[in-house]
Amino acid sequence: MQFKPAGDSALVIIFGNEIDERINKKVHAVAEAIEKASPEWLIEIVPTYTSVYVYYDPLKIGYSEVVEAVKPFLNAEPKKEKARIIEIPTVYGGEFGPDIEFVAEYNGLSVDDIIEIHSKPLYRIYMLGFTPGFAYLGGMDERIATPRLEKPRLKVPAGSVGIAGKQTGIYPLKSPGGWRLIGRTPLKLFDANREPPTLLQPGNYIKFVPISEEEFWEIYKKEWGEER
Amino acid sequence: MIELLKVPSLTTIQDLGRFGYQKLGIPVSGVMDDYSARLVNYLVGNDDNAPLIEFVLQGPTMKFYSSTVFAVAGEADIYLNGVKIEPWQSYWAKRGDVLEVDVLKRGVYGYIAFAGGIKCEKILGSCATYLRAKLGGALKAGDKLKLGYAILTKKEGKALPDEFKPEYPNESEIRVILGPQLEHFTKEGIETFLSSPYEVTPNSDRMGYRLEGPKIEHSEKGADIITDAIPLGAIQVPANGKPIIMLADRQTTGGYAKIAVVAKVDVPKVAQTRAGGKLRFKAIRVEESQELLRKRETLLRNIKALLEGKLRAYKIKALGEEFVVFTEV
Repeated sequence: MQFKPAGDSALVIIFGNEIDERINKKVHAVAEAIEKASPEWLIEIVPTYTSVYVYYDPLKIGYSEVVEAVKPFLNAEPKKEKARIIEIPTVYGGEFGPDIEFVAEYNGLSVDDIIEIHSKPLYRIYMLGFTPGFAYLGGMDERIATPRLEKPRLKVPAGSVGIAGKQTGIYPLKSPGGWRLIGRTPLKLFDANREPPTLLQPGNYIKFVPISEEEFWEIYKKEWGEER
Repeated sequence: MIELLKVPSLTTIQDLGRFGYQKLGIPVSGVMDDYSARLVNYLVGNDDNAPLIEFVLQGPTMKFYSSTVFAVAGEADIYLNGVKIEPWQSYWAKRGDVLEVDVLKRGVYGYIAFAGGIKCEKILGSCATYLRAKLGGALKAGDKLKLGYAILTKKEGKALPDEFKPEYPNESEIRVILGPQLEHFTKEGIETFLSSPYEVTPNSDRMGYRLEGPKIEHSEKGADIITDAIPLGAIQVPANGKPIIMLADRQTTGGYAKIAVVAKVDVPKVAQTRAGGKLRFKAIRVEESQELLRKRETLLRNIKALLEGKLRAYKIKALGEEFVVFTEV
């Protein structure tokens, strides 16, 4: 384990240098422990794959004091309780996943194979970041790994499920994007008026559940309050 | 209430930022230049975090529907009912008055503060606008802004003494704390970074400033890291060796190695450097950077008290240098 300053207002605690479930569980356990204690100098905590960023107020505490202050929390152990699994209803293919045929062809598989392989695992949420509600997931089957688009799309609809190299993910917001789109979920991943504002939380697991187009629009109406 | 008549693009309402949600991927946002924004709020009797208008290069035109006291931060020609007034001073505006703020002569970001602050619906605890996720929206002509309640008497006619006005040079020395991914760079790469001027490119915005200059060499570890967090002022260096300084609207996490993080006191200097302006980086220790921040905070507290009439400021000369001394009234 290492301590480093990241500027004058953040301390990084580094727990390892590989994407590994055990390391990431430790990251979340320590981040939670510090956050729960909420020392008065703490501004916020950002757990990542292998590190914890402790954002602090340098007007209240100095760098070396923060290092000392976080040490008692480093023996926090991951909780044994059962992990929360969030089901993500997803329509695969068609207008919802325009690249699914390319992904199938690229990997020498059928479209049905892609759906089965993609919706089978429990994906661990290692961290959130990049944009509001975007989850960095682990555990995609490498048999469906596919390179990004050469030219990113200008508009990817919110809820689009994509593959980029060996990872898979869901776009929380309408945005440009270069991932191969294989499906779309009607769920709202980010809603500023909700508490918490993101559906997914680091440390949870998600499971993609294939649904039909009819089911998609039914859920979509409930989630977004509009027809389509 | 005020009505916006002419609104250049990217004019937004900001405060000091949205904290506590970065772990969910929600950026901090907030003002790009917290020094100017805090000072202009003090000029109208507000606290640090009062929501105000931030504009880019060109200011808006607005009409007042009720009396208020306002002040403008930024070097521009400013007109109240066609009569030229000064930046860094608080003025009384009454119903029907029109305020025009022209193009900034120096710097990038200007601010307009109103006594009582702008009333806004807080999203996740903040009025900071983050356009990419539609947290708040860009202001447009016809928008009406409500102002918070404030006692207006004795708030007008306050002027910020010249020595506290920020400068907007086109070449600055920016102090940085090296790391946290220093091992991703060669010794030569770090040396290049600390000894060469880097130019701010037009491809810069509230998210980050892209710089052009000598290529910074990565070590055998390369430019990519396992994605981790991005603090304010972090300097990422992608594989092309050209640094990017991450600012208010930066994404919360990223996968490029960070060679250094800008000292918090120098972030406004970066933000106010125009495209074509040059930055040179100087490494300091984290303790020095925190000391600079504490000094700036004391200065800001003193300026606030001075504007509230609780302190007086004197200029003194010693050893050929000018100092400002604050004394109690």
